[in-house]
Amino acid sequence: MSEAIHIGLDPLNTIGNATARVDAVERVTGEAKYSRDFKLPGMLYAQILRSPHPHARIRAIDTSAAEALPGVRAVITGDNASVVWGAGSVSGGRQYNDPTKDATLHRRYIFNNPLRFVGDSVAAVAAIDRHTAEQALALIKVDYEELPFVLEPEAALEPGAPQVWPDGNLCPDFRNNFEPMVSNLGDVEAGFAEADQIFEERYETSFIHNAQMEPRAALAHWEADKLTLYSPTQGISNCRHDTARDLGLQDHQVRIICNYMGGGFGNKNQNQDADLVAATLSKQAGAPVMLEFSRRDDWLGVHGRWPTVQYYKIGAKNDGTVTAIQMRGYSGMGPYRKNSGGISGMDVYACPNRLRSISPVYTNRTTSGNFRAPSEPHGFYGVESMMDEVAYKLGVDPVEFTLKNMRRPTDDQPFTNYSLDEVITRGAEQFDWASRRKTTPGSDEGPIKRGSGFSFMMFRAGVGTSSAIVRVDAQRQYTLFVGVTDIGPGAKTTMGMIAAEELGVPLDQVEVVAGDTDRCPYSVGESGSRTTIQTGYAVMQAAKDLNQQIADSGMPTGSDVLIASATPNPSTDGKTRQCFGAHFVEVEVDTRIGTTRIVKYTTVHESGRIINPTTARDQIRGATLQGIGQALHEDLLYDPASGQPLTTGYYRARHLTHLDIPEIDVTFIEVDDGYGPFGAKTAGEAGIILAPAALANAISNAIGVRMTSLPISRDKILEAMA
Amino acid sequence: MKAFTNINVSSIDEAVSAATQASSNGQSVAFSGGGTDLLQQLKDGTDTSDVVINLRNVDGAKEISSASGITRIGGLITLDELSNSGLNDVLTQAAASVGTPQIRNVATLSGNVTQRPWCWYYRNGFNCYKAGGDECFSVTGENQQHAIYGGGPSYIVHPSDLAPALAALGASFIVAGPDGERTVNANDFFVMPSQDPARENSLASGELLVGVSLPTPAANSVSHYHKIMDREAWTHAEVSVAAVLTMNGEIIESASIVLGGVATVPWKLTAVESYLVGRQLSADVVTMAGQMAIAGARPLAKNGHKVPMTSAAVERTLLALVNG
Amino acid sequence: MGDKNKADTSLNPKQRSRREFLENAGTTAALASAVPVLGISTAQAQSDTESTAAKTRIQLTVNGSRHSVDVEDRWTLVEVLRDQLDLTGTKIGCDRSECGACTVIMNGKPVYSCSQLAVWADGAQVTTVEGLASGGQLSAVQQAFVENNGPQCGFCTPGQLMTATALLSNNATPNADEVKQALVGNLCRCSNYNAIVEAVVMAGERSGGAA
Repeated sequence: MSEAIHIGLDPLNTIGNATARVDAVERVTGEAKYSRDFKLPGMLYAQILRSPHPHARIRAIDTSAAEALPGVRAVITGDNASVVWGAGSVSGGRQYNDPTKDATLHRRYIFNNPLRFVGDSVAAVAAIDRHTAEQALALIKVDYEELPFVLEPEAALEPGAPQVWPDGNLCPDFRNNFEPMVSNLGDVEAGFAEADQIFEERYETSFIHNAQMEPRAALAHWEADKLTLYSPTQGISNCRHDTARDLGLQDHQVRIICNYMGGGFGNKNQNQDADLVAATLSKQAGAPVMLEFSRRDDWLGVHGRWPTVQYYKIGAKNDGTVTAIQMRGYSGMGPYRKNSGGISGMDVYACPNRLRSISPVYTNRTTSGNFRAPSEPHGFYGVESMMDEVAYKLGVDPVEFTLKNMRRPTDDQPFTNYSLDEVITRGAEQFDWASRRKTTPGSDEGPIKRGSGFSFMMFRAGVGTSSAIVRVDAQRQYTLFVGVTDIGPGAKTTMGMIAAEELGVPLDQVEVVAGDTDRCPYSVGESGSRTTIQTGYAVMQAAKDLNQQIADSGMPTGSDVLIASATPNPSTDGKTRQCFGAHFVEVEVDTRIGTTRIVKYTTVHESGRIINPTTARDQIRGATLQGIGQALHEDLLYDPASGQPLTTGYYRARHLTHLDIPEIDVTFIEVDDGYGPFGAKTAGEAGIILAPAALANAISNAIGVRMTSLPISRDKILEAMA
Repeated sequence: MKAFTNINVSSIDEAVSAATQASSNGQSVAFSGGGTDLLQQLKDGTDTSDVVINLRNVDGAKEISSASGITRIGGLITLDELSNSGLNDVLTQAAASVGTPQIRNVATLSGNVTQRPWCWYYRNGFNCYKAGGDECFSVTGENQQHAIYGGGPSYIVHPSDLAPALAALGASFIVAGPDGERTVNANDFFVMPSQDPARENSLASGELLVGVSLPTPAANSVSHYHKIMDREAWTHAEVSVAAVLTMNGEIIESASIVLGGVATVPWKLTAVESYLVGRQLSADVVTMAGQMAIAGARPLAKNGHKVPMTSAAVERTLLALVNG
Repeated sequence: MGDKNKADTSLNPKQRSRREFLENAGTTAALASAVPVLGISTAQAQSDTESTAAKTRIQLTVNGSRHSVDVEDRWTLVEVLRDQLDLTGTKIGCDRSECGACTVIMNGKPVYSCSQLAVWADGAQVTTVEGLASGGQLSAVQQAFVENNGPQCGFCTPGQLMTATALLSNNATPNADEVKQALVGNLCRCSNYNAIVEAVVMAGERSGGAA
């Protein structure tokens, strides 16, 4: 097997040693129960009827035939189930909470009228089996008044464009002002005046469905006024708060259970309409209800990464110094603002004059939302393609150009540590950048052309609050209670390892209890690469407390236990805390058929101390490969005339297969900056940020034409070569 | 999935009778070999058959036999079996290029040849020609994957990998129906949309493809199937080329070149074939063949990339034959 | 039409009963649409707990155990495994032969159980992920998945394991390319492909030579 290279720190007792997941056996034997694997007595099956139109008003719904179908137990529509799905649309796209629920102007319900995209929910049915439920959907008669629709964000802002919401198609901010998101540093006009040359280009990126393998399901069960939900969520605590808030319940009246879930990559954050629909149907039917999404339901009804358009203007001096960066961007949010619509990247440059303006725009496509590093891969693709182009046009090696222009710690803004120079130079060395890149892009003779590209990043690794509880009994068995669900990176194992390390016991002496809000304390959702840093730090503090209790009063005896809990709220003392990375890739482009093959892929990351080398390695490899899929294949194509999505599903979105996969080499530079648990930083999102930029730069280096639109599919390559 | 009735049959006669009876009851019928694609269509509602006739227990319908210069292949042979059959390279390579091992373990020759188009309009439930409507939505819509040959009024591409290989081998198609068996050559089996835009082949209602017969290849023949996909596996062909050459030393005696993935039917390149006869496969000849291949291409707005790809694919297929 | 009777005699009894059912299908539909008019819909809907659709009895041998199951014609094999036999290790990812999560070994070969009707599998020998370990002992490929982090979210894992198991039974020591060819029909959105291939190669190296 191929192990990552680790440089800088030696393993501790448990941390730093390659460790099998604590639940690996359950995962390889089929014993692991995912939401859809539960069955309760009398359980009904539910399905959702979805809009066939991109924009339509419901004049009337007749559910009588569906209700009359033998075996149907409940039918709900907007007429008899007006439930707010708060997290489904949030002014400003920020975290859903009580203030944002109150503030949100464009409120989303589990059923909406008008319907604003193909796939918007119209009605739901619970029946004795899934086929009966499906049959009942077909019996619901809906009288639709079709409305004009708009698919592209720029077109949506033009005068006279169809209005997705009455107030216009620019999404409101969290104060409900209809303004772009602007960040303005220095004076770009002065920066352009200072420049020797100005460079401008338009970049475009596509909708990328999260496409986690597990389609959404929710099993709802009421006992008196208490709701139990088996739901695949990235955060049981958030899911509980959201669900309680939406249903008008107290937190303690909602129990979320999620011990295993089949991936989310950001689209199982918060609660989902599936949770609310299942709960509502279950209440109405008086029986447990399992709502199952089909793959198409999941593709259209949940969300994917927002498509963007990015206009760049860069000023640079002939010596390679960047003097101004300006970007005007548009993010297609679909008809509901679930998340920010951000386009990141320019902040990794030191250039003092930076102006960014992003317009999140409503369209009648499916909803956009968070996908692993929500604002980054498309933004880094845009800005680092731009800078790569500037470097080549100025005759400068892009790596030298980066070392000259990248952001560094300043007296005003110190970092907890800074390793970007080492990350980049080590990567360049390992990859053999100097000899692999083409100093003249596209210079290979013949139709098969090689080229190499590079990208770099820093990404937040900030600290924050979360909770953990540790208990020890008289048999010296330790139990760790953490509200994680383990969405794939291995959080249960990581938390157990941190506890074992701090407690000074072997991992097998620590049982990890997770994934159940009635048994576990609050944990930050498994999003934003925060769990290791935040919940891991809480675990460490709870373990320290327990150690102190043991030191003070000795081990418990008889049936006594000692319990410690911690909810720390650490800070970085005013310093910025970042993880760092650089990717280098060599490609071979077959310019006669437009195929791109990856020859070599080298990644170097500094994510602080690595807790579990095996799972950290695969976070980088997996995220990088997801980014490669974004760069080369994935999109959701719509028919412009009808507003119908054409390429839902793995086959049509051309997801990577085993045969499409290159070896990804991983190197970790390990550092303990004194913050986070044992110095651990962000790893889960780091890999995906860099792949599209590195790959796009490599393709341009191979063929000598800048590729300004993702995915870089064969038709675009062949058009560039024509 | 809609309710339907499955009927297991153990002979082709039974299958035909069951279909006839169901039709006479006003029910629509689908024959199922491996059933992979049929089930997708039933789940998606693009196939609304009332009766599914399951052919997998039919005896003697997957055998390969050779007699008097003719090889007959039973239509229910799986693609996995076909790819390991030791028959012509072009056929085994085409079979091996389909889908995934799991699909090839159940999918059949007949099913592959007669599968419905994978056009994203048709498969997404648009009421196009293929669904019985009177429009091809790709013409002014998203036509990146559509036909550059033989289009109009429908512009689907024929989805089969075996079909171009079989056409290149000069196969005849054996059809069973209420009136017994009939044998049809490729020209008459595959139907251009200008002839009937609703169909891809000439199977009448109640008929099914039960096998193919091939002239046993000459000892001096070589063949190859070259398929370009949008990922390394598990998609239909963007462009594919099935080539069969008979060689007299270095000289081509006869040539059969058929394209897949770019035309509404397996697309025979007769001009290229005539050009190749009597020539050696030099670099110039190969290049010329590639250029001649696209002489008749009529791309739509968004599938122009298929034109240079087709040239390259033809050249590379011939080069693969030179390089053995 | 002349051979209608002949065709019928060649079908076995359980199929004939369904044949009769389909001949009556038109009448059934008419009755269903009349239900609300007759005002009996509520009583009928509340009394049933199970679909009254016609069922066929099939025999399946799953992980060595024989099962007799009454199935609707439209039920897929994966539905029967999960819903009737409670073998929920096999996952439904796409239900369209696009992802491989539902892969089981049927009569010695990996197939997508989402794309097999249960009635087509009558008499089949099926192995699911629950059948890989024996006597509490993980198989070599399961053990390799444990050690080399084969599962991330774990949802594709049962399918990957089944295809890998079928591969290893035909090719005891596959190299990485052979593993990729064999497992190409199993997607992993966590994109843990490198680790999965390494694990299968490792399993072969460990046990293949010795087996």
